[in-house]
Amino acid sequence: MSDETTLLTWSDEQHRALARVIDEIIPPSDDGRLPGAGAVGVTQYIEQVLRPTPELSAMVVEGLTALEELATQRHAQAFGALSRAQQSELLQAVSMSAQAFPPVLMIHTFAGYYQSDRILHALGLEPRPPHPKGYTMGPNDLTLLDPVRQRPARYRAC
Amino acid sequence: MSEEVVDVLIIGAGASGAAFAWSLAETRMNILCLEQGDWMDPAKYPGMQRDWEVHQFGDFGLSPNTRGRREDYPVNDAGSPIAVSMFSAVGGSTILYAAHFPRFHPSDFRVKTLDGIADDWPLDYQRLAPYYDINARMMGVSGLGGDPAYPPKEVPLPPVALGKLGETLARGFNRLGWHWWPSDSAITTAEYEGRAPCINAGTCLTGCAQGAKASTDITYWPPALRQGVRLRTRCRVREITVGDDGMADGVIYYDANGAECRQRAHVVVLACNGIGTPRLLLNSRSKHFPDGLANRSGLVGKNLMFHPYAMVTGIFDEPLEGYKGPTGCCIMSQEFYETDPARGFARGYSFEILRGFGPVSTALWGMSTGRLPSGTDHHRAYRELFDRTAGMVVICEDLPESSNRVTLDPDLVDADGIPAPKVTYRLSDNSQKMLAHSVARAKEVLEASGAHDTVADAPLPFAGWHLMGTARMGTDPETSVVNEWGRCHDVRNLFIIDGSVFVTAAAVNPTNTIQALALHSADTVKKNLANLFD
Repeated sequence: MSDETTLLTWSDEQHRALARVIDEIIPPSDDGRLPGAGAVGVTQYIEQVLRPTPELSAMVVEGLTALEELATQRHAQAFGALSRAQQSELLQAVSMSAQAFPPVLMIHTFAGYYQSDRILHALGLEPRPPHPKGYTMGPNDLTLLDPVRQRPARYRAC
Repeated sequence: MSEEVVDVLIIGAGASGAAFAWSLAETRMNILCLEQGDWMDPAKYPGMQRDWEVHQFGDFGLSPNTRGRREDYPVNDAGSPIAVSMFSAVGGSTILYAAHFPRFHPSDFRVKTLDGIADDWPLDYQRLAPYYDINARMMGVSGLGGDPAYPPKEVPLPPVALGKLGETLARGFNRLGWHWWPSDSAITTAEYEGRAPCINAGTCLTGCAQGAKASTDITYWPPALRQGVRLRTRCRVREITVGDDGMADGVIYYDANGAECRQRAHVVVLACNGIGTPRLLLNSRSKHFPDGLANRSGLVGKNLMFHPYAMVTGIFDEPLEGYKGPTGCCIMSQEFYETDPARGFARGYSFEILRGFGPVSTALWGMSTGRLPSGTDHHRAYRELFDRTAGMVVICEDLPESSNRVTLDPDLVDADGIPAPKVTYRLSDNSQKMLAHSVARAKEVLEASGAHDTVADAPLPFAGWHLMGTARMGTDPETSVVNEWGRCHDVRNLFIIDGSVFVTAAAVNPTNTIQALALHSADTVKKNLANLFD
C-alpha cells in the first residue's frame, strides 16, 4: 500500500519536470496567446486520471527519474536547471529508451489541456458543463427544403 | 426463493421491454420485469460535469467490455470487424443512443419480393403504421411531415435545430439535387408530457440530463409502473426453465448480491436485444431443448445483422457551431436508399448528418487521424480543426447470413458466472461494395457543401449499435423462430420482442421499429388472451 501511495503521489519537483515534458507536446503558441500544456494545470489532471492505473503512473515517474539521471550524467545539473535546448535533447533520448513515457501521456495531455478554463476562453467557449444551461441555436430555415418538396415521392409503394 | 407465479415475466427493461410492459399494463395482469441494470440518475450524467467529453471514452463508452460496470456483461467480439455496443440499465441502450428515430419503409418489409434476396417479413408497413404512431406519441418524436421518402406519418413535435452545420450540409445536398430531410428524432423540441425541450447541449451519447432525449426510463416506464407493472433491477437471468409439458415455466436469475433466485411465470417475454436474447436461449438447455430453448429450427443466434457504418468527416474553412445541437440528429438523406441495380449492389443506405466535435474530441480525433501533431505546429493544426468539422455517417443495409452469428463463449463469463456471448461476423461483398459507394458519395456531398478535406472511416469499427436478426420471425417453424407477433413456434408461452426478430435490417436505426413491433406484439397478446397458446 505504501509503495502504491508513493507512486500515486507526485512531488512538486516531479510536477515541474512533467510540466516541461508536456510543454513539448503542446508548447506555448508562437504569438504568446496560448500557454503551453505545462502552464495550465495539466500535470495535476494527468496525476488524477492515472491514479486508477498505477502501472501507467509508475511509467511516468520512471520517465521523470530517467530525465533527472541523464541530466546529472550529461550536464551535472538538475533537469529543471537546464536550457530549453538541453531539456529537449534529454526528452528525445528518454523517448527512445526503455523508460519512455507511456503513449497515453499524449492523450491525457490533449484531454487535460482542452478542458482548462484558459484554453476554453481562448476558443471562445464558456468553461462550464453543457448542462443545465445548454446552447442557444437559431430557428431553422425550412425554405431550404423547397427543392426537395418539388420532387416526387421516392419510396416504393408495396 | 419466490413461489409467486406472475402472469407475465419480461426480461429486460430497455426499448422493447418498456413498450411491451406499458401496453400490457391496462390488462391489470400481474406483470413483472427483471432488469440486470439499475435506474440511472440523470443528475449524474457526464453532461453535468466539466470533464464530460472524456467519459465517452471511459465509464460511458460504447463497449460493455471497457466500461467496467458490473451491470454489463462482456461480449467476445474479437471475431467481428464491428464491435458490439450496448448498455444495461432501466432504459437499456436508449440511455446512450443518439435517438435518431426513422421508420422502416414499406419496401423494407418486402425485400425478397422486390429485390429477390433475403426474405419478406410476415407483416407489412401498413400493419405496423398504427404502432409507429403510438410510439411517436409515447417517445415524443420530433421531425417534419411531408418527407417524400416516406408515406405520410405522424410527427408530434417540430424538428430539432439544424444549426449552421445542418443548413450548410443541406445546401450541399441541394447543389447536387439529392434528397434530404430533417431527421425524425426521439428528442422533445418543446415541453411535452412533462418533459423539457432539448437545450442543444450536445451530450446525447452519454445520457440526457435534460430529459429531452427519449430513453424508456423516462417515457414508457413511469406510466407502466403507475399502472401496476413491477420492475425489479439488478436481476440477471441465467436461464429460462421449461416444465414437463415443454412450456416455459419461469427463470433462474441472480440478484444484486449474486444470490440464485427463481421466478415462476405463466408467460415469459424476452427483451434482451439481438445479442442477449440468443445468449439466454442458448444457455437454456433442457431435455426438451438440448440445443437451446425454442431452437428446433437451429436458427437461434444465426443471421446476426449490424448495420455496416461509415463515418465521413468534412473539414471546412468556416466555423460551424458543431458542438451545439443533438449529437446524432440533424438531417438525413435517403437519396441512395432504394435498390438501383446500376450501382452494383443490392439494397441501399441512409446518410445521417451528425454534429462537429467538442474541444477534447477534436483533439483526440485529430490525433487519431494524424491531423493534429504535438510540438510547434499543434496550435495551427488545432485552429484548422476546432469547430470546422461536420460529421456524417452512412448506415448500410445488412443482409442476413447464417454464418454471422451469436454463440456462447466456452470460456468468457459475466460477473455472475453466466457464459458470455461470442460474435462471429464478416462483411459481405454486398456490404463492402455499398460502403465504398457510400463513402464516395459522402465525400461528394461534403465537398459540395464546402469542405476542403474529408476523412473516412469504413467500416466504423465501434459501430455495433444495432443488433438484429438472431431469432427471426416468419410463418414457417423450419425457417424462423417466432411468428409475426413474437410468439416462439416451439414454445407457445415464450415471446421475443427485441431486434432479434428482424427478418431484414433496412438501412435506418432500428429502435423505432423494435418498439413498434413490441407494441404490435403486446396488442396481439391482448387480443388473444383467451386462446394465447393455441
